[in-house]
Amino acid sequence: MKNREQRDLFPGALEMMILRTLKRQPLHGYALVQHIKRTSNDLLQIEEGSLYPALQRLLKEELVKAEWAVSSTNRRVRIYKLTAAGAKHLQRQVSSFERMLEGITRVLARGES
Amino acid sequence: MNWIKQMFSRRRLYDDLSEEIQEHLDEKIEELVASGMSRKEAAAAARREFGNLTLVQEDSRAVWKWPSLEEFLMDVRFGARTLRKSSAFTAIAVLTLALGIGANTAIFSLVNGILLVSLPYPKAERLVSVTGAYPQGALVAMREQMHTMDVAAYAEGHDFNLTGRGEALRLTGTLVSAELFSILGAHPELGRILDQGEDAPGQDGYVILSHALWQQRFGSDATMIGRSIELEGVSRQVIGVMPADFRFPSTKTQIWIPLHNDPRSIFHYWAGDFMPVIGRLCPDATLQQARAEIRMFQSHASALFPWPMPASWNAGVSVVPLQNGMVADVRVRLLLLLAAVALILLIACTNVANLILSRAATREKEVAIRSAMGAGRQRILRQLLTVSLLLASLGGLLGLVFAMEGLSLLKTLLPADTPRLMDVRMDWRVLVFTGGLAILTGLVVGLAPALQISRAALTESLKSAGRGAASSVSQRLRGGLVVGEIALAVLLVIAAGLMIRSFWALSHVNPGFRSEHVLTARITPNESFCNDAIRCLTFYRNVLDQLQSLPGVSGAAFVNTLPLGGRVSKRSLEVEGYVDPSGGTAPLFWLNIVTPGYFRVMGIPLLSGRGFSDADVSGTPVAVVTAETARRFWPNQNAMGKHIRLLDDKTWRTIVGVISDVRAYDLQRNSPRWIDGTAYVPYNPTATLEDRRVPSEMTIAIRTASDDSQIAAMLRDSVAALNHEVPVSEVRTMGAVVSEAVSAPASTTSLFVAFAGLALLLGIIGIYGVLSFLVSQRTREIGVRIALGAQRADVLYLVMKEGARFSFAGIAVGLTGAFLATRLMSSELYDVSPLDPLTYLGVALVMAAVTSLACYVPTRRAMRVDPIVALRYE
Repeated sequence: MKNREQRDLFPGALEMMILRTLKRQPLHGYALVQHIKRTSNDLLQIEEGSLYPALQRLLKEELVKAEWAVSSTNRRVRIYKLTAAGAKHLQRQVSSFERMLEGITRVLARGES
Repeated sequence: MNWIKQMFSRRRLYDDLSEEIQEHLDEKIEELVASGMSRKEAAAAARREFGNLTLVQEDSRAVWKWPSLEEFLMDVRFGARTLRKSSAFTAIAVLTLALGIGANTAIFSLVNGILLVSLPYPKAERLVSVTGAYPQGALVAMREQMHTMDVAAYAEGHDFNLTGRGEALRLTGTLVSAELFSILGAHPELGRILDQGEDAPGQDGYVILSHALWQQRFGSDATMIGRSIELEGVSRQVIGVMPADFRFPSTKTQIWIPLHNDPRSIFHYWAGDFMPVIGRLCPDATLQQARAEIRMFQSHASALFPWPMPASWNAGVSVVPLQNGMVADVRVRLLLLLAAVALILLIACTNVANLILSRAATREKEVAIRSAMGAGRQRILRQLLTVSLLLASLGGLLGLVFAMEGLSLLKTLLPADTPRLMDVRMDWRVLVFTGGLAILTGLVVGLAPALQISRAALTESLKSAGRGAASSVSQRLRGGLVVGEIALAVLLVIAAGLMIRSFWALSHVNPGFRSEHVLTARITPNESFCNDAIRCLTFYRNVLDQLQSLPGVSGAAFVNTLPLGGRVSKRSLEVEGYVDPSGGTAPLFWLNIVTPGYFRVMGIPLLSGRGFSDADVSGTPVAVVTAETARRFWPNQNAMGKHIRLLDDKTWRTIVGVISDVRAYDLQRNSPRWIDGTAYVPYNPTATLEDRRVPSEMTIAIRTASDDSQIAAMLRDSVAALNHEVPVSEVRTMGAVVSEAVSAPASTTSLFVAFAGLALLLGIIGIYGVLSFLVSQRTREIGVRIALGAQRADVLYLVMKEGARFSFAGIAVGLTGAFLATRLMSSELYDVSPLDPLTYLGVALVMAAVTSLACYVPTRRAMRVDPIVALRYE
């Protein structure tokens, strides 16, 4: 229970990364988590399971939609796609995240000098 | 988001989720296998990477639901299942709580109906009651002078003969000032109420009937309105019928008669009934203003009287809300009962909490497993609390059933003159109270054990496989609960003990007369019949003559006020050579007017001198006083031969006898506080009451040797033969009169005894349960001890020591609590100190004995422990 909060980085981070990944291409859950892990060079220790509650939240808010399909490896998978609302949401989140990051960076830079 | 659609499509969402997660794991395993791992290792690794599978699923699902409500429903389902499985536990817990909640609900219904629910009149919060009592003259002045409120007065206890329609009937009437009904805001069921001014002489020939009388005596005949009926030989027009739920001032009233405010009859006007006064505050007046005004009025009211009034008369007069005024007498008693049942509920809670703790020992492992499977502590806490809330809700429901039964029992048990008792019913307030109580109970009962269990160290519990050893904290908690439980029981039993002692003292009071074999009845000719005193006296003389010739009658006499009969006959007297130290006014006596032989019939002992003889009826004026009166007016002297005189009487009366004191007012007091002395005079034309008339309402006392009911029938026949217009009423034995006088303390005492018994029973169950559990926990230890050579006595000592620790601690705490709390009930106690050492000691001993007994059964089980069996369990 305790590590879940540490793992989540900050609230909404996982959702943002999911949306960003899905913007590039629709993916199913397993591929999604592998992609996030790979692109982050395994810096982010994400428990694979933690992806699913996040996906359910996004589904509920209709930021993504899901469809069952058959994958190239002949496996029944549920493909997640970004919706228009999801794209807009991602844009907002990313820009606010960038502002926040910029702010943090400045403070950290000043502290060093 | 359409949440309804969501709710129905949820099944599919969940299926999708499970399948998706399963596919995820499969894919991962495939990949790992492909990279060279064995399938078994791959499965484990996939699960490890994935995290807590159950928790992920639960969290994912939680996105779709209203978590708290649904979890709650789930908990309820789960709780119900657990409770069903352990039906014995459930039954005991629910029953215990139901008893506690039921008792509280029943008593609260009384408190609610009598103390809380506002009076059944419009804008009842504006109704007030003046704390003093005033005669007609003062009322009329008050009515004219008060600007903050409209006032009305009433005088209960005026009975009227209803004649001219079959058998003569005695009706209980209340005299009212004309404004009484309009001030209350009461509406008639039929006809009209009194109009202003209809209590003045010449305009007051009316009567208003109660619904019950109209129904029973007049067959609900609507044409009665406007017709006249014969009351005390006077024709009065029926102008209205009040509805069945109009019960002012009490249920007893059958007719309302206007006061006859006649300033010319000075004695009636200024010294007749001293009546309670009620009022309705004027629209913009406050209670404080009314208080100030009544004090102002009081400051010059005494000057209105044609004679000096004592300075103390109504000195502390005030104005209080009518509701408080009406129920002041029962308030303390009701609150005491409420306190008692609250204690019972506390005991019941303690017991159930203890039961849950015992079960907790077995559930600790289950909880540990659940938290190992990923259940949060809060979640477990909530789930445990749900079970206790469920228990309490069931207890509450069953308690409501108990309360309904209990309430109807209470209504018959409580004295019939308890104000507003008829109005008591279970309304929404009672239901809210019960609901709140059940929830509170559930929380109280469940919280301690739940915290206890959910805190339990996970690994510890899992390791101690199967034995489920309760931790020492829980042991201490259970011990504390038992101590508290015994303490509460001690407190209640002491309270009940004091009530019993008080009641015993009260019912063994020497009332000053012998009540066995005495039959009494009111024989009341019309007042006008006694306008001719000789005619009246002759009539009573004839009744006595007829009766005394009957078989089974060993004596009969008349008296105007029967001891404990609820009536006081006051009369100002002059006492020769006595000057009131506080100034001026003649002492007020309780004047008993009796026929010769009264003292013998009632068994009232003469202390000196003689009683009345037939010669006294026409001879020199004489009187008899009570010992208390003799002491008061002639301290250290012989009262015999001294003289007293009825105020305005011409001749002095010689005191020819002193009788022992009679508890005439109630069993605790000979007379009310405002009475200075008690005198007896023989019934003759000079024996007049305050209105300067001979009494026309006499009570006969018959000393019987045979069956009372036969005598009663013969009495009715004799009176009817002499004068068919004279009703015989209130036929009852003196024994019944006495027991009615103790009915209020009797009912309170029996309730307290019932509550104390309940508390004691629950307390015993509590200590028994804890000790049994203790023994079963320590079976192995005891087995080892026996194997190592411990004797039975050692084991006995070992277990009993535990029990005695709880019991002594509980008794000590309980005694201390009683020492502090019982003074609250001192107003309800007669002749017993709230710190009565005998009661305290007795209860302590009884509790020690009873708890030892409760300990003995588990102890015996411990002594029988077979070391081989006990050790083999390991």
